[in-house]
Amino acid sequence: MGKYVAKRLGYMLVVMLILSLLMYLVYAMIPFDRARAEADKFREAYKQNPQQLEQVYQNLRKDLGTDQNVITRYLGWVGVVPINGQYKGLLQGNFGYSYDYNKPAQEVLVEPMRNTIFINIFATILALGVTIPLGIFCAVHRGGKRDTFIQVLTIVGYSIPIFITAILFIWLFAVQLRWFPVSGMKTPGSDYKGMQKFLDEMKYMALPLIVMTFSSLGGMTRYVRASMTEALSMDCIRTARAKGLREKVVVYSHAWRNALIPVITLVIGWFIGIFSGSIMVENLFGLNGMGRIYINALTNKDFEVVLLLQMFYVMVGLLGNLIIDIAYGIADPRIRVNK
Amino acid sequence: MKKILCFVLAAVLVLCCFASCNSDNQSSSQGGDSSSQADNSGSGSTGDGEKNENKVIMGNSTDLSGDFRWPGFGSSSAGASDQDIGRLTVGHATMAPNQGGAYVWDETVVKEHTEVEDENGNLVITIEINPGLKFSDGTEIKAENYLAYLLAFSTKIAQNAGHSAQVGQSYVGFNTFAAYMGEDVDYAALAEYRAKAAALTALQEENPDATMEDVVLEEAVAPITATKEFSGIRLLGDYKFSLTINAAGGYYPYYFANTYGAVSPYPMAQVLGEGVELKDDGNGCYLSESWYEKAADSNIEEDAATFTKTDHLTKARYDVSTYPFSGPYVIKEWDSGTKQATLGINPEYAGNFEGVKPQIKTIVYIKLTSETQLEMLKTGGTDIIGGITGGEDTKDVLDAIEASDGMLTETHYQRSGYGKIQFDCDFGPTMFQEVRQAVAYLLNRAEFCQTFTGGYGVVVDGPYSPDFDMYKAVEDEIELIAYDYSPDNAKKVLEEGGWIYNSKGEPYVEGAEGVDAVRYKKLTAEEAAATNGVNKTYSSVANDDGITYQTVEINGEYYMPLAINWFGSQPNDVTDLLTTTLSNNDAVKTTGMVIRATQGDFTNLRGNIDRNPSMGYMGVPVYGMYNLATGWPTAVYDYSYNWSLDPNYFVYSSNKLFDEYDKAYPYYDTVDAEGNPTHTKKTYEEAVAASGDKLGMDYLSMAMVYDATTTEEYNHWWMKYIERWNELMPDIPLYSNYYYDAYNSKIENFKTSPFWGTAQALVYANVANAAD
Repeated sequence: MGKYVAKRLGYMLVVMLILSLLMYLVYAMIPFDRARAEADKFREAYKQNPQQLEQVYQNLRKDLGTDQNVITRYLGWVGVVPINGQYKGLLQGNFGYSYDYNKPAQEVLVEPMRNTIFINIFATILALGVTIPLGIFCAVHRGGKRDTFIQVLTIVGYSIPIFITAILFIWLFAVQLRWFPVSGMKTPGSDYKGMQKFLDEMKYMALPLIVMTFSSLGGMTRYVRASMTEALSMDCIRTARAKGLREKVVVYSHAWRNALIPVITLVIGWFIGIFSGSIMVENLFGLNGMGRIYINALTNKDFEVVLLLQMFYVMVGLLGNLIIDIAYGIADPRIRVNK
Repeated sequence: MKKILCFVLAAVLVLCCFASCNSDNQSSSQGGDSSSQADNSGSGSTGDGEKNENKVIMGNSTDLSGDFRWPGFGSSSAGASDQDIGRLTVGHATMAPNQGGAYVWDETVVKEHTEVEDENGNLVITIEINPGLKFSDGTEIKAENYLAYLLAFSTKIAQNAGHSAQVGQSYVGFNTFAAYMGEDVDYAALAEYRAKAAALTALQEENPDATMEDVVLEEAVAPITATKEFSGIRLLGDYKFSLTINAAGGYYPYYFANTYGAVSPYPMAQVLGEGVELKDDGNGCYLSESWYEKAADSNIEEDAATFTKTDHLTKARYDVSTYPFSGPYVIKEWDSGTKQATLGINPEYAGNFEGVKPQIKTIVYIKLTSETQLEMLKTGGTDIIGGITGGEDTKDVLDAIEASDGMLTETHYQRSGYGKIQFDCDFGPTMFQEVRQAVAYLLNRAEFCQTFTGGYGVVVDGPYSPDFDMYKAVEDEIELIAYDYSPDNAKKVLEEGGWIYNSKGEPYVEGAEGVDAVRYKKLTAEEAAATNGVNKTYSSVANDDGITYQTVEINGEYYMPLAINWFGSQPNDVTDLLTTTLSNNDAVKTTGMVIRATQGDFTNLRGNIDRNPSMGYMGVPVYGMYNLATGWPTAVYDYSYNWSLDPNYFVYSSNKLFDEYDKAYPYYDTVDAEGNPTHTKKTYEEAVAASGDKLGMDYLSMAMVYDATTTEEYNHWWMKYIERWNELMPDIPLYSNYYYDAYNSKIENFKTSPFWGTAQALVYANVANAAD
């Protein structure tokens, strides 16, 4: 197992290097000159001395490495060649700079990451907590009225885009019923501490959580239902029933174990997804999360932040796949990864 | 496992419900300290007997970044919300913009000021501040607090921190002070290194492998003149200082020269850190040597000086808790996680330029999104939403106000600026005044404005706001062409401009097909050679109909087609509307013109305007027409150098319009002994007479600010500038929209204007029937 993991980690490193180069090249192809954009901010300050503005621009080109070819710039970003005489890349712990926020890129991402993980953990637990029992219930009562009703409901939920759901829920729960705030992350001007702070945050997170959960119900419920239906038709289930086992034991102990394997991919995928924000939900609810940071960085051509984010997601994705593969082995003894 | 899952699920559900239900409890348990969004009454106006919490929630669509101490840090890229926080927390400046955008002396701060010319023609502004002014921590504000910023942000230390470090550029002695990096620096050696580095760059163009060792300087290098004193900035006492505006540097005479006397006080520790003193021994202010302390990696000999105080500036920029504030408010809390800033009244604040002190106890800045901001206002989640514009949004806001039963109200103003079509005037058809005028005649601007703004906007005929004092002063006198929609006028000006041929050099025939569907103009040799001869090969792009219009050569003469290449940014509603109303307009076609549309992102648009290859410009100018917007945040109206014929100022020339009148009668009319161009100052009447009433854009824009000495004279120059602009039409103003600020009617005396944003307005506002 250890050998297998080490091998996979080695592959991951190669994949990350290739992807980082590809991504860097893609962003380098976009016609944008960071040095010019930064120099232009001082256009008014140098109005009476345009030559000095040009000097500022040339200095910035040297400092940012935009006077070099793209491969040199990439190697400088990684940290294996110097830019303007200095090694200041990933290997030196320099993860880039956000020109939009005037801060190192990693500092810009800390708070949104915290917020995104906070909301996604709850959303994921809530969604799994609802969809798995619901999927099992539907599979067990397949073809019944309740199953049909849930199937219709989930397909409707699955079909409605999340921004429509969000707007409908805001109108209903925040504007009409006034149960929840429209948007924001905490009561303006509040200075709560401890449990009170947590409850205040939950009050603001409740509606986006409900929207995210509602929107994810359809897919997962149907997935669990399909997987469980297949499991319930297996010979071993018939045997278990023939043995006279209680229906609960048959369903939750025998059938569910068999239905779990395809579901694991999805469940672990969801947990990996807690790092990525929802652009729509975060924008509509004014949440300072990863989705918003990502789209803002792309819009404002804050490419070093985008690159860092994408590299992070690549790493999480690769690690996630490794975890899924290992989890398969744990869930199903037939699948063992020893090589 | 099942049990754990059930427990977690139940816990989450209970927490959500409990948190929601708890909102009311929190409001009461906090003694009204929180404004419940879920409860309308918590933030809305109340009945007669009920008290309102003395708090205002200010919603804004731009993110707060925490850059509040020096928003933008010397650049022009500060966010609107950061600037608002800066305006509310930095105060007691010597001058302040008033409601009309003009800078006035703040008599709460300034006890006395004088403006006199010295023997060198410089303007010396001496300012004595009132004793007793205080920062929020009770420490007294003294003259040195005004000067520390000017000095520190004119040094290499600030430059290394990412600041322009040009703060003191208008004062005498700036260049030598800015060059100073401490007494331990060998300035002669540094000068030699810089000369060698410059020579190496030149050498490397021929030999890329050249190194410093290959460089041989043929002439002795003059040492860098660096002085520790800033001679134009003087500390004359605890409460008195002077600033000398540099005449030789071109900063005086200048119509707005007294605005160089506008300086704000900062705590010494915030600007300079610990251990640095500001002194004046009689030759000018200076900072003690500890300011110039070098960092461990500093390499002065190779022009790579680094300083320990650079780190201090970088940290102080975002430090909202260590140092006190001078403005009407202090930052009580900045939550970078939720992007909320909470401001409280500064008890030591002595009042603004009108002696006004804030009355609203707490202001909370929150981030809003455009999709839900109106719902936030309706439900009390915010008390103010600002800058609503556009037909649909404005209508929605006004409907909400009408339906609110008096809970909401609004204030509005006409934007000081407009959306526009901008032309490149140095190549292609748009280099000709008649073409630009014809486009203006072919676009029904009134209808465009009505459609785009939903009726909440007006059309102007030049680069001005009707709210400008100078416009009001000359309103009855100014003569502007209205450019009302008229295909006939378009045709007429085109014919007068020589657009009378077809592609064979024969007379243009209306209704012709193919490449002869548009008019052609026979170019003079000078016109054909303009901008490196690009007109000789000019052609239309984005030819979706398969027809390419291009300049043709007939018997050695060049005929240019009336095919305008337009670049519009996307996503942009103006671009979409212009496509319908202009480029696909039948009147354009029947007039013998074609407008070819290319759409792309804004960076690409800017790259083409600036002709910057690294931003998507392909090396040869292609587009002659763009759509974008412009505005004036203050009434300091200065377009000097924007129309200069000097190629050095090309970067400031948005339109690349080089006025024929300026070529015939230039602003710089003589040359001094060293070969530098000089200007002979004339009054408005003298200049009009001497030029035969043909003053160009460069002359007018320069004279407006550098020759005018009185308001009346300035207004004359300004009027003439606007008239000439209106005639040349380098831009076509499309719409000047109204901005609506909608707010909870519990807020009283809240009035914004084009130059008076929400931050300034909040200082005058109060909460009706406030609880304390």
